[in-house]
Amino acid sequence: MPRRESPLQSEMLQGTLDMLILQTLVLGPAHGHTIAHAIERGSEEVLQIEHGSLYPALHRLEDRGWIASFWGTSENNRKARYYRLTPAGRKQLTAQTARWEEVVRAIGRILKPAAE
Amino acid sequence: MSWRRYFRRAKWDRERREELEAYVQMESEHNLARGMSDSDARAAAQRKLGNGTQIREEIYRMNTIAWFDALCRDIRYALRGLRRNPTFTLVAVLTLALGIGASTAIFTVVNGVLLRPLSYPQPRRLVRLWETLPKRSIYRNVINAWNFLDWQSRAQAFEGMAAITTSQTINLSGGGEPVAVDGAAVTTNFFDILGVRPEIGRTFTAEEGILGRGQVAILSHELWQRRFGGDRGVIGRKLTLNGGPVSVIGVMPAGFSFPKVPAGIWLSLPIDHSPLWEGGRFLAAVARLKPGVTVGQADADLKRVAAQLSKERPGFDQGWSAEAAPMLADTTGDVRTALLVLLGAVGFLLLIACSNVANLFLMRGAERYREISLREALGASRRRIFSHLLTESLMICVLAGTLGLGLGEWGLKAVLALLPQSVALPRSESIVLDSRVLACTLALCVLTTLIFGLVPLIRAGRSELQQSLRVRSRAASKGIRRAFVCVQVAMALVLSVGAGLMARSFARLAAVNPGFDTERVVAMSLSPAGRYPNAQAVAGYFERIVSEVRSAPGVESASTIQFLAMESESRSCFTPPTDGPLPPVSVQPSAMFSVIGPDYFKTMGIPVERGREFDGHDGLGSPTVIVVNAAFAKKFYPGENVVGKKLMICWTSNLPNPAEIVGVAGDARHQSMADAPEPTIFVANLQAPTFGNLIVRVKGDPAQIERAAVAAIHKVNPDQAVAKIRTLKEVVDDSVARPRFQSALMLVFAGVALLLASIGVYGVASYSVAQRTNEIGIRVAIGASRGDIAKLILREGALMCGIGAIAGLAAALGLTRFLASLLYEISPSDPSTLATVCGVLIASAAIAIALPVRRATRVDPMTALRYE
Repeated sequence: MPRRESPLQSEMLQGTLDMLILQTLVLGPAHGHTIAHAIERGSEEVLQIEHGSLYPALHRLEDRGWIASFWGTSENNRKARYYRLTPAGRKQLTAQTARWEEVVRAIGRILKPAAE
Repeated sequence: MSWRRYFRRAKWDRERREELEAYVQMESEHNLARGMSDSDARAAAQRKLGNGTQIREEIYRMNTIAWFDALCRDIRYALRGLRRNPTFTLVAVLTLALGIGASTAIFTVVNGVLLRPLSYPQPRRLVRLWETLPKRSIYRNVINAWNFLDWQSRAQAFEGMAAITTSQTINLSGGGEPVAVDGAAVTTNFFDILGVRPEIGRTFTAEEGILGRGQVAILSHELWQRRFGGDRGVIGRKLTLNGGPVSVIGVMPAGFSFPKVPAGIWLSLPIDHSPLWEGGRFLAAVARLKPGVTVGQADADLKRVAAQLSKERPGFDQGWSAEAAPMLADTTGDVRTALLVLLGAVGFLLLIACSNVANLFLMRGAERYREISLREALGASRRRIFSHLLTESLMICVLAGTLGLGLGEWGLKAVLALLPQSVALPRSESIVLDSRVLACTLALCVLTTLIFGLVPLIRAGRSELQQSLRVRSRAASKGIRRAFVCVQVAMALVLSVGAGLMARSFARLAAVNPGFDTERVVAMSLSPAGRYPNAQAVAGYFERIVSEVRSAPGVESASTIQFLAMESESRSCFTPPTDGPLPPVSVQPSAMFSVIGPDYFKTMGIPVERGREFDGHDGLGSPTVIVVNAAFAKKFYPGENVVGKKLMICWTSNLPNPAEIVGVAGDARHQSMADAPEPTIFVANLQAPTFGNLIVRVKGDPAQIERAAVAAIHKVNPDQAVAKIRTLKEVVDDSVARPRFQSALMLVFAGVALLLASIGVYGVASYSVAQRTNEIGIRVAIGASRGDIAKLILREGALMCGIGAIAGLAAALGLTRFLASLLYEISPSDPSTLATVCGVLIASAAIAIALPVRRATRVDPMTALRYE
């Protein structure tokens, strides 16, 4: 059951985080720690996410069937929970990316109106 | 959100803990690699992750199905609350279970007998047909064969009609012990009209309906299993029925039967327009309406044909008409009122139980105001409190419903066992706890929950937080509670009046003297066990059997009668001889006819008031003689000596007229215990021989006679089956089994209702005493005597009971007229019954209120004042 927050804010943040996670998993299965650092590194440390908030998001994505999880062994021989993209997740990512780019273009046009 | 994960939340949470722990491990290693110290590395990792517990909680919540979780919590909470109050729970559950159980049991019977459709295809198109004689108020009369054939060919409204004889005992012999089997003869289209196919083999062909061609039989599934072990090779097998060979052509499916005509064997009924079938009325009929035709149209159509016939055959049909009635209603008509009365009674019982439990909840609710207010103050929403309270009543109801269903099933068995096999309810085979009954019980549970669960809710809803925290709302629900008790008392009174009337009616019925000896007379049924070429042979056979039985040890005398008292009867007409032609049969007076053997009256213990009874000399060659009963003499020859008078009687053609009356016998009840003896003409079996019942008067214990009598009969013919061996006392008891059953059930219901109402009165009175302890203490302290205090409490109780009793009496006077048709020689508003019932009610209310009054008078003012 999602918590009751201001719907606009939570939806935007959630959607963004979801997209970032899915994008990270395009390269292959990864565990939570890798995903968190990958997002940080990928954004050149611009997006500072609280790593803990990643886990409820992972849970939600799995719930929706966009990612799947399994127990595996990490690079330093630790038991770790791995997540991988499902076909449904891949489709979702494409859709979301397209939408995101549309929004970005729209916002860009507003902020930087066409040359006068 | 998935149910699977919901139920595995704990395991899921453990895994999340591991996952988060793995993160911290990896992050600290990462930090260590960046040169942090051991403890710093771990602390930094924890910081980076954030609050692990909160994360887990968030995920846990995602896996939770909120409404279900709340429900589980409510149920747990409710169960805990109920466990903490075992007396309350027990009383509430038991009370409701009683109400639900009784309702379930009776509704199961009503459903099976009155509501379930007949088990034939398209049952609504089936009708029963009868002849009627409106001018003498005779309805549902059996049918003459010629009339039936004419209806069949002339009526337009029917797809087809079939005739069926009443059930008769058939002697099945050959291959083992001879047995008597119930059988009926039906026209060959009978099974097609009902729309039922045989399980194996075939049904009759039209050809087999012709006299002399129908030596074929169809067995019931039950007889097939019992006698032939379900052997499929039974088709084509030759059986010996009534001494003649008959071959089996089919077996009907399990459960197939025709209402009120028990039959293990169906034979073909070869009726035609030959003189053999011209007279007499003895057929029952069932017909299927053409699609779209209403029963009313069919009835009109049949009446039209009957009117034609009564013009064409005035000698036989003058005044006679016909009727068509829906088969289901026709079949259950005679028990309908009784069952509906019982259903009404349990309905009252259930309402009393509900209002009792509602009162319990109200009193508890009043005590829980503080708890509820506190929960409200702590932030529980109104909705949560409502759902919590409703869950509590629902739990009571679920418990009571489960228990009630068990009680109902047990009660149903007990109820059905009250009725002897021979007088079972019509369609008793379809009395089962089916889905409709279960749905009904469920509906009852929901309804009762609403009734007793909602009232306290409404009160709780109104509870003003501030107010209820400050003052104890003492008088809050007093009015409702009192109203409930009044209603209970009223309903208990109505029920008790009904039960009282039925019990007194039954007592009167049971006290009726039938006019014959019931204790020392044993009856047994004989069916033809061989071929008898003529009447002489039948008479001779019977004479040998009777004389053999008469000389058996323990036998005082023996005789025969065609139709035993309380079981069956036949009617015919007679007329005094005239010089000219006799008046047509249809206008001659009618009387009951009974075919009896010599020594019948002596054996039955009926006095012969004048003249003599039949003896062995009244045989086939000698002049025709008859005996009449006192009622006959009184009605047709008042003040005259009838012995020696001659009558022309309509009986078999081998009985030459006129017949001379040789004796007058005392009156005895024959039709039923409730009907006064009717004018009866007795015909000598040796002159008009027929099979029927052997009756034996014993010297000692009737139970001892069975073996000796059967041995004596088998000495004459080892193939003779002897069925239904019972004393006349059993016959009479069986005949009043239904009124006994009804009054016994009503008494039980009334007893339970009185008990519940008393508990209700007691509960409210003692609660009121407890609530008023303080006030009573003050009253005593300022000088009130014990008598004053007692008066105070008594007045309250008396008011409730008084209002209830008056309302109850008014309702009873309005309702008992529905009982009128069930009552024997007692008026539905019988004042002495009303008075007795009121007395019983007042007595039980007085007992119920005595204890609280006693407690009130014992209140110690000091304790009472300190109490607050």
